[in-house]
Amino acid sequence: MRWRNLLWIGISIAGLLLLPKFFPDPFFLRIVTEVFMWVGLAITWDVMAGYTGYLNFGHGAFFGIGAYVTAILMMRSGWPFAATLPVAGLVAGAAALIAGLPTLRLKGAYFAIATWALALAVQQMALVLDITGGPDGMRLPPFLHPQFFFYLMLTLVTATFALLWFLLEKAPFGLKVKAIREDELGAMALGINPTTIKMQAFILSAIPAGVLGGIYAYWITFIDPASVLADIITDQAMVMAVFGGLGTLIGPLIGAVLIFAFKTYFWAYLADYQVLYLIILGGVIALTVVFLPNGLWGTITGYTGGRRILRKALSVDQPQGSGEKET
Amino acid sequence: MTKPLLSVEDLTKTFGGLHAVEEVSFQIQQGEIIGLIGPNGAGKTTIFNLISGYHPPTRGRIAFNGRDITGRRPYELARLGIGRTFQVVKPFPGLTVLENVVIAAFARHPKRADAERHAWQILESTGLAGRAGLSAASLTLAGRKRLEISKALALEPQLLLLDEVVAGLNPTEADQTIKLILQLRDSGISILVVEHIMRVIMNISDSILVLNFGRKIAMGKPAEVTRNPEVVKAYLGEEAACKP
Repeated sequence: MRWRNLLWIGISIAGLLLLPKFFPDPFFLRIVTEVFMWVGLAITWDVMAGYTGYLNFGHGAFFGIGAYVTAILMMRSGWPFAATLPVAGLVAGAAALIAGLPTLRLKGAYFAIATWALALAVQQMALVLDITGGPDGMRLPPFLHPQFFFYLMLTLVTATFALLWFLLEKAPFGLKVKAIREDELGAMALGINPTTIKMQAFILSAIPAGVLGGIYAYWITFIDPASVLADIITDQAMVMAVFGGLGTLIGPLIGAVLIFAFKTYFWAYLADYQVLYLIILGGVIALTVVFLPNGLWGTITGYTGGRRILRKALSVDQPQGSGEKET
Repeated sequence: MTKPLLSVEDLTKTFGGLHAVEEVSFQIQQGEIIGLIGPNGAGKTTIFNLISGYHPPTRGRIAFNGRDITGRRPYELARLGIGRTFQVVKPFPGLTVLENVVIAAFARHPKRADAERHAWQILESTGLAGRAGLSAASLTLAGRKRLEISKALALEPQLLLLDEVVAGLNPTEADQTIKLILQLRDSGISILVVEHIMRVIMNISDSILVLNFGRKIAMGKPAEVTRNPEVVKAYLGEEAACKP
């Protein structure tokens, strides 16, 4: 069974590595590269939502921060692209640390609202600062090499997937974050410091998102607050993760592939109706929550965690005390 | 008497104007079972929450192994060796029984393989090994209460706080749990137990601490406490206490 899994993983990675050889069409590579990126955003969003039980409505801010760090370092300080990526990740991680201090004390919907507001604040900041170019955004030197970005995105997302899989499914850390998701007060009685673990999870979800943002900036060559700091980045990653199945890594991966494929098809063939895409996205999330709360993967495998995670993460009336009645 | 394992001095907790616990002092020796009883609202669960760090005390001092632990957080106390169960049981429902216990075992065994080995031992001793792979949500009430004890035990505590782990069980299950509590005591663990079933608490406790309206009204051997007029009054009312 284990060998079979390893074989499949090997075949998939080999297939992806060889893909540009057989399908060198730049448009096709560009789409697959973007699929990788969204897989990365969806799985890192799920670290907080599905594993830790906190719906982060500001995940896109980490992506945007990473994009701006790369752009600023390359354009204003003349750094080489490769050197900017670790900094993009670290700055996104530091942003998570700062944002987490006040927001990770909040529970349920309050956390969701606070992170959404913080992401808006970051977008506003990029609009008014000089160093970010304000609303005009920033232009990066073009590097037109689709295969380079294909392999870079593939490497980063595969590495992120492997790291998250190890930390969340194999290492003690995974069980600790799940304990917090299931019952924070109960976890405390077992020697788990919820603040530390939640902060680690938040930073863990932010760093890869920041690096993805950095790659995106150099790839697309133009960023502005309306693109890399837009709500839609969080929203789309969220829909992908929820649709695919929360609380797993495979679920968001499947969700990202399917939703992005749909989006591409829709934009390519129904370009006149682009505005409909957002409406459809909203419909998908609403219908998923109501009819498919465990997501596609959860429904297929019978993993019923998604429904409970959603219900808990959205509730506003969780007990703040010890959660028990006095006798 | 040797040095007490837990020593509570003038412990007071107020919620707004309500004195939930008022100037309560007592000590627990190693390997001793103390029964904590009192009518509803007497402050028993508040005492648990104070000792386990869920509430900071308003006044007073708690010392564990001679060390001042007043105001320490629950997770620090768990690592120091104070394990507790919750009256409203707190299983992690989305995880398996084994995973539930492994999480607690991390406090002493940071490596996953070691923690799992330790968790299996605990599950063997509490009789849950046969259900280790099941979801914690699928357990019966009796099973959940055993899981609650198993998790507290996985911390390898020196002091165990048991909040109504017998209530709601059928007589056979209750006897099994009592047997388990006595075994734990014999292995050297000190136990503070809250229980409403008098037959249970009178039989297993070395001493009984009686609370009423947040105050300690008596402490002593079970037989002495039941004869104490204050205690009878608290439970049965003034008239009953006047009878010889």
